[in-house]
Amino acid sequence: MAIDQSLIGQQFEATEPVTVTAEAIAAFCAALGEERGQSRPGPDGAIVAPPAFAVTFRNTEAFFHYTPRFGRGFDAGKEVEFLAPIRAGDSISLTSVIRKMYEKTGRSGTMTFVVLRSTLINQRRETVAHVDHRFVHRNPGEPG
Amino acid sequence: MATILDLHSHSEASDDSRAPVEAYLNWIKLRRAERPLDGIVLTEHRQFNRAADYRALEDRFGVLVLRASEVETDYGHMLVFGVNDDILRRFDFANVRLPAQEVIDGVARLGGVVVPCHPGRPTVGLCEHYETKPPLENVAAVELLNGGSRKGENERTAALVERFGYHAIGGSDSHMVSLIGLCATRFEAEVRSIDELVRELRSGRYAPADFRPRRPQPRRAAPEAAGSE
Amino acid sequence: MSAAAGKRFETIAAGEALGPHEIVIDKARARAYAAACGMDSGRFHDDEAARAEGLPGMIIPGNLSLGLLSKLVTDWLGAGTGRLTRIGTTYRAIVSPDRRLILHGFVTHIEAQARSVEIDVWIENEEAERPVIGTATVVFPPA
Repeated sequence: MAIDQSLIGQQFEATEPVTVTAEAIAAFCAALGEERGQSRPGPDGAIVAPPAFAVTFRNTEAFFHYTPRFGRGFDAGKEVEFLAPIRAGDSISLTSVIRKMYEKTGRSGTMTFVVLRSTLINQRRETVAHVDHRFVHRNPGEPG
Repeated sequence: MATILDLHSHSEASDDSRAPVEAYLNWIKLRRAERPLDGIVLTEHRQFNRAADYRALEDRFGVLVLRASEVETDYGHMLVFGVNDDILRRFDFANVRLPAQEVIDGVARLGGVVVPCHPGRPTVGLCEHYETKPPLENVAAVELLNGGSRKGENERTAALVERFGYHAIGGSDSHMVSLIGLCATRFEAEVRSIDELVRELRSGRYAPADFRPRRPQPRRAAPEAAGSE
Repeated sequence: MSAAAGKRFETIAAGEALGPHEIVIDKARARAYAAACGMDSGRFHDDEAARAEGLPGMIIPGNLSLGLLSKLVTDWLGAGTGRLTRIGTTYRAIVSPDRRLILHGFVTHIEAQARSVEIDVWIENEEAERPVIGTATVVFPPA
């Protein structure tokens, strides 16, 4: 599949910030098996989400809409940098940009990889995390 | 004097690896009793890391670090040892559809040697391609023991080695620090440089070395109770 | 796996193991995670929808695997001052629910000046394969 290099640097913005609720953190913790379904409270008593909560924010739907030629792929991996805690009551917005696209072959045939970097910012304009999402799309017509 | 080298490994220069070279060497030092490696070969995906200079790390850890590449061809993935400027001018390593026979013969003519890796792996291994295409000529050796292989893949390669009489190497294919050296190659002669490695790979005087821990047979999870999804 | 009292930087040594921790993620829990994260793709909710996408059955989201490995590290850290600052994962194969998984980790590198620790983490499946591999960085505040 020909890689459209003009997509590199393409930015996607979330439409609205997402407010983090204590309930959302609790549901996430319960699903992850955190003890007693509660995250550990921070020094100021606020409910602090586990670090992995950062990857629940994404605007990949916008990305998939923009690049219908790729279709829905698979999550090939992530690189997450945790810069500041996410607390209940925070309002998180995110911007994403396509960082890299490349082709490689593997067990599933020839695949196109797309790396999308999302930057999460809270209501105090603090960057709380960078998340590099790596998506893989199998090239059309490939066996496997 | 025998030399044991892990002939297939990826540092953070490869897109899907997370292993700094220094951390690899530190791990080798830590695990020397179980994995007595004399050195490693960094076989980065679809590139040759020309600028890298690991001599200071070699001196510090007493471990040889050589550089090679893993390229992608119409017969699967292959390790290219002895990469030089002529080879890089002749072949674009970023091309995921290099013509395998041309790569094997061209690299040999230009001073290097090519070894197909993980031949038993679906799609990117030699075994599957040999089912529908003529076998390649002038294959010096294949990677019989690959540390990242799934169940049955190394065994498939063993059948290929027996059928074609290929020489065999071993490599960890590690993409993270703690996996370095799980599989390696034991050379009869001393190997202290890439030129010596190329010479010995052409000679056939080596065999795979398996340092993977012996583990009990994996247990399956208990069968689900009737009525559960 | 209960939280320890709190890991101290001075006591960490290269080669130290995290886990192994055995776990089974059943379909209900996998669905609950997907719902908690707003992941509505059918592959994370039922076998039929997953098979329609060419998968052998329902799969566990990659984010859940990342979450489990993050938790392996934060549980190892306990209630001390160490903080998980980075985690990277590669999903090499699908992870299916209702199967025995083992979470593993090894401390591979310690940077004394930065008071940081590098950790290899991975998930092992019933076939003794590693469908998920990764690394994590933990940092401790100045002494």
